[in-house]
Amino acid sequence: MSGITPDQRIGRLGIVPARFGPKIVGGAEIVLRHIAEGLQGRGWDVEILTTAATDYFAWENDQPVGVREEDGLTVRRFEAVKSTPGTERSVLGHRMLSGDRLSLAEQERWMNDDVRVPDLYHHLLLHASEYRGLVFGPYLFWPSYACSQVAPDRSMLWTCLHDEAAAYQDIYKSLLSGVAGLFLQTEPEHELAHAIHPDLAPHAVVGCGVEVPESYDPERFRQRYGITGPYVLYAGRREGAKGWDELMTQFSHAVRTRGLDLRLVTMGAGEVRPPAGLEDRIIDVGFLPDEERDDAYAGALAYVQPSRYEAFSRTIMESWLAGRPVVGIAEGGVVRHHVRTSEGGLVYDDAEEFAEALALLVDHPHLAAEMGARGRDYVMARYQWDIVLDGIEENIVEWTPAPAELVAVTAGEPGGGS
Amino acid sequence: MRILMVSPYPPQRDGIANYTAQSVAALMREGNEVVVLSPQPSAAHQHLDFMVGPRAWAAMARRVRGFDKLVIQWHPAFFYRSSSISDRSATDLAMAAVFRLVPQVEVWVHEYEYVEVQASAARRRAAKLAFSQVDRIVFHSESERDTFLRAVPVDAARTVLSAHGHAFLPRTSMTRERARESLGFAPDAFTFLCIGFIQRHKGFDRAVRAFGRLSPAPQVRLDVVGSTRLEEPEFLTYLNELEWLTGSDPRATLHAGYVSDELFDRWILASDVVVLPYREIWSSGVIERAALFDRPVIATRVGGLEEQATQRRVTFVDDDDALAEAMAAAAGLELDAGDPAVDDSELEKLPWAELQEAVVRRAAVRGGGHRSKGSSAATRTGRRDDDLDRASVLVRRVPPYVTPPPSSTRPGVPAVKRVVQRLTAWQLAPLISRVDNLQTATANSMVLLAEQVRDLRAAVHALPAAGPAATAPASADGAPAAELD
Repeated sequence: MSGITPDQRIGRLGIVPARFGPKIVGGAEIVLRHIAEGLQGRGWDVEILTTAATDYFAWENDQPVGVREEDGLTVRRFEAVKSTPGTERSVLGHRMLSGDRLSLAEQERWMNDDVRVPDLYHHLLLHASEYRGLVFGPYLFWPSYACSQVAPDRSMLWTCLHDEAAAYQDIYKSLLSGVAGLFLQTEPEHELAHAIHPDLAPHAVVGCGVEVPESYDPERFRQRYGITGPYVLYAGRREGAKGWDELMTQFSHAVRTRGLDLRLVTMGAGEVRPPAGLEDRIIDVGFLPDEERDDAYAGALAYVQPSRYEAFSRTIMESWLAGRPVVGIAEGGVVRHHVRTSEGGLVYDDAEEFAEALALLVDHPHLAAEMGARGRDYVMARYQWDIVLDGIEENIVEWTPAPAELVAVTAGEPGGGS
Repeated sequence: MRILMVSPYPPQRDGIANYTAQSVAALMREGNEVVVLSPQPSAAHQHLDFMVGPRAWAAMARRVRGFDKLVIQWHPAFFYRSSSISDRSATDLAMAAVFRLVPQVEVWVHEYEYVEVQASAARRRAAKLAFSQVDRIVFHSESERDTFLRAVPVDAARTVLSAHGHAFLPRTSMTRERARESLGFAPDAFTFLCIGFIQRHKGFDRAVRAFGRLSPAPQVRLDVVGSTRLEEPEFLTYLNELEWLTGSDPRATLHAGYVSDELFDRWILASDVVVLPYREIWSSGVIERAALFDRPVIATRVGGLEEQATQRRVTFVDDDDALAEAMAAAAGLELDAGDPAVDDSELEKLPWAELQEAVVRRAAVRGGGHRSKGSSAATRTGRRDDDLDRASVLVRRVPPYVTPPPSSTRPGVPAVKRVVQRLTAWQLAPLISRVDNLQTATANSMVLLAEQVRDLRAAVHALPAAGPAATAPASADGAPAAELD
């Protein structure tokens, strides 16, 4: 436990993910949920401020707007507004990706031609002073960008910085230098933040917690979904930015050129679009409850991580907890950092290396098991919620002053103070 | 009361947007139901593109229904798509029709095109028709109101004066020491600050030139902070000029880029004196923000600033000489002797060589050229080194290529332009990147060449003195006249 005493846990904390709900797959959203639950469990007054939308692609307001209790947390939902066609964002986004410099006006148009949450902005405009601190995340989304500027002195960022074109845009400089504090999850993210923005706001590498399942039953998963034979697993959004299309191409290359008897099982959101001739090898199991998800990890030959833009990569931790190795893209600094530090898998730079890595694990199952075991040790030693929450609350206390009126009340109570 | 507020709005970087957000918060706290409509998508509840011309006001006619009051934060750039008199008059007439639909209309005039309106009878009639429908026209100064009424003669009883900063709140809670540290100020630095949108009428170039006339003091610095409102040639050219000017003085720095509300306030808090050498302006949000942090201001006496600043720590000046004198006094420095501000009679006492140097320097300053101050680079070698640095700077400072916005005053043309842009982007984007890369590569090559030239010079200087036949004639300051240049 941290050195924070109960009398220091005063004032309300607003946790501000763009989406919130039990079925959310996005890494940052899950993490912010755990942070909220963990901080509330330690005695903080926590409120979730989020949109009424839960689907990343549709952004339909499928939850009621307003305040209600959800799984023991107070959740205040606001309407997500997507009133622009997004075509300009798409054009500007492509220019950004191709290395073109966007003017400030273009960066602003890129940011605002997407989902916006005006009612959240106005809620904070009126009520920000009622929160001791507000934790936004990740940096990329409109709520973090626009709403953290309402009360920057009490806004903190669960940053999730990736080495991507957007991170280098000028509009984020003020955000990363002007808020009360930045939570970073890994050393590569920390180095990247300094490399992009030399004048960072106060910041700390606090890691990220991963829940340890009590048990695994891979056979149950196989039977339920009719999966026979070895498979590799991918969990997350199926979209270009996550490397999904590239993964399918490389998987196709691996199984065809090396004759590997492998399937690619995938869970998450987004269209699968398997390459022609590979339809029976790519199995989409959709969203899975936690227990089945854990079983899916345990049953896999390995977990594959094709995403270059990871701030932490929660899924590779889940795979390691299940004792299975990771085959991750080397270009992703965070993934490479985890794999190299833990020696819990292999990294690849191209389709040939990807195929070679899979072939090695197929041919040498004991190596796969050893890597998985090393990965599990790595996660257990570093990424447990108690350690992470210690860091988070210590920094909240350091970065945000406790509301004076509550300090006075607490100090006046019998037993108040320590 | 249900209020529809029309204004640019955060997160758009704009002083009026920031001003509006704080006003909206104040109105909401009073119990009003406020809906914000902005010209571009933002944190506002609604948005409407006024650049489509008068038909935007047809859409407004539908949007205003059910509201008790319409409040408009007025700046011509938000509502007119072109400078054509007929187009602006048509917009005024469309506006007048909408104003009739709302029980109460209030317009906050942040800027108005007085000259254009006074120059055209047709425009004046249209503007008068529109503004005579307004119940309350709010100004930040009396002189601004009087000028408006001369251009648009409406009932003066409907006009109101409002203190500019009445709803302002600080956006940073840093201490001054922390703010200075975060911006990299040395503990003993004395900092002049020019901050805001970078455009010629803000006159930041005047501050840089005046700053160049202060006697050398290494701890004194000038920071010019802001971005251009629009990425158009006129603005980029001015930005380029400012880069050139600040690049010529190592104590002056241009921080061109995005400035959030928090960073804006942090700069003001960290500064010692805010300098506002405006050529023209009616009121200034920066004066108000400086007052929030109790920072002194030096400002030119233009528009309604003097009225606005009655309770503020503002020193007003009337010309560039007075500006330089005020800056020198604030920093406890003298004005540099030999500058154009010095009495011409002094020149008569100078030896010829110094007189010649003074002529060159005065010509450079008058012509908008540069002087290298804090480097004390008075020697010819020093000047040549500066020139070597500037060789790459010239290339670096070519403004970035900016894709022209798909706008036009002709109906339908923006849509066609957008289609053309999308169809050609796959070819043009790599070309643009290529040009940018070439610019960077050329500038880097120039730096390498400059280093080579410096090394070569040093090698030449290190050579043992040759015989009289091989020695080039020496110049007045003793440097060989045939040095590599």
